[in-house]
Amino acid sequence: MNFHLSLDYRVPTGCLEPFFEGLRNGVALAERCEACGRVQFPPGGVCGTCGGASLGWVTLAGTGTVILRTDTPDRTFALVRFDGAANAALVEIANPAVQTGPGMLMPPPEGPPRLFFALTDPAETPHA
Amino acid sequence: MTVLLAGGAMTPFNRRKDGSSLRDWCRTAFARALSDAALEPQDIDTVVFASESDFFTLQLNPAAVITDALALTGVRTLRVEGGGASGHLAVQTGAALVLSGLARRVAVIGAEASAAHLDAGKVGKLYSLSFDAWTDGLTGVGATSIYALSVLDFMGRTGATTDDLAGIAARNRQNARHNPNAHLPLDITAADVAASPVVSSPYRRLDCSPLSDGAACVILARPEDLPRSGVGRVRIAGMGAASDRVRLGDRPAPGQFPAKTKAALQAYQAAGIGPEKIELAEVYDSYSGAQLQGLQALGLAEDVVASERAGRFTGEGGLPVNLSGGLLGQGAPVGATGVAQILVAAQQIEATFPGLRPASPPRRALVDTHGGIATTCAVMILESLA
Ligand SMILES: [Zn+2]
Repeated sequence: MNFHLSLDYRVPTGCLEPFFEGLRNGVALAERCEACGRVQFPPGGVCGTCGGASLGWVTLAGTGTVILRTDTPDRTFALVRFDGAANAALVEIANPAVQTGPGMLMPPPEGPPRLFFALTDPAETPHA
Repeated sequence: MTVLLAGGAMTPFNRRKDGSSLRDWCRTAFARALSDAALEPQDIDTVVFASESDFFTLQLNPAAVITDALALTGVRTLRVEGGGASGHLAVQTGAALVLSGLARRVAVIGAEASAAHLDAGKVGKLYSLSFDAWTDGLTGVGATSIYALSVLDFMGRTGATTDDLAGIAARNRQNARHNPNAHLPLDITAADVAASPVVSSPYRRLDCSPLSDGAACVILARPEDLPRSGVGRVRIAGMGAASDRVRLGDRPAPGQFPAKTKAALQAYQAAGIGPEKIELAEVYDSYSGAQLQGLQALGLAEDVVASERAGRFTGEGGLPVNLSGGLLGQGAPVGATGVAQILVAAQQIEATFPGLRPASPPRRALVDTHGGIATTCAVMILESLA
């Protein structure tokens, strides 16, 4: 037998809403732990160093550097350390033709807010 | 107190094309496990069911439905979920119920329909929700890419190469050729792996475990609650479980599996042994490289890459690993995976495994399973009762 299911979710993002609002605009909003000072991007609601839950928001420059990169036939993903952050972020690479190095968070072209990253290459015009 | 694996059975793992249902697979595995344990259905007072996702089974509250399908009424029934570790954690839960005295004879049944019910693209999309759905998930990243990033870090730290990974992918499929229940009994070489299409660099199609259908069942009880006091069966000597940060980017070393190390240490401590006493292992090889990453985290090799290259993990080696074929070869119907890993390891100790066996049966075997990317880790040490 066949069974069809179609689901449209509304997903409240709770305490992380400012982070997602930032991503929509290509702004890297990070958490800063009030107890130990750790800055984390992406945020998680709890400090990754001391477990503290008192966290404020700080805006990072949005620049970062690729640590590791993997290519699928149609998309590229990377672990990126954003400048000022203690942790790393898993991002989609906007311009996979550039192999590695520094780059910048940018607004995703479509769909829900997500971590979308353009690599810097003076020889190329990053396509948005 | 001792908990025994009093019996067990599994269906073949494959992509079902015969129209049989998940309920059928569970019935088959349960009936054969009972028979193996020389018990009757009315001897069972608890059913622990394991499955990862209701999106695959299309059945919420599956424990009640499967228990009913097994013609059991009035028994304790519950479902255990821990991603890829669901089946293994279900066995640990069943053992805990026996140890607590709440249950006497537990049937642990794991099952999943990860191949027959949905097309592979949809299953992949659902699997990508196994990680942090809010950050990693929204990028559209799939499981293979997350494992790829992790193994790249591991390769950078250890010098493991894609040739090492391809060798594992080929060997586990060759091991599976002896296993009548295996999904991918393939006569392939490392060159075939290297020639298969890239899924997410460095991983290629043949580095990835398959989406499988199937079920597995084990029966747990104390010796005094079993026929002939369970003589000849295998005891659970130690169990451990531990979690890690969900996101790779939140981990200090994304290629290492520290939660697995913690779970293993708990199991070794409970068993009163060190890793050098382990004579055979079933390790969670969802991807070829994860086998090496796992072996390192479990403390089963001083230098895991050197040991791999020296043949230590082959059927003839000092520590045979995944003689069943592992997930890569035997297959991976998620809820059933860990139950089957435990079953085949016990069968190796009992010298009844219907596939590749070492020259002499191991006295102790280790079973390693995880969910996410070594995020939800479970380790069990099995020991012959003799
Ligand atoms: Zn802190």
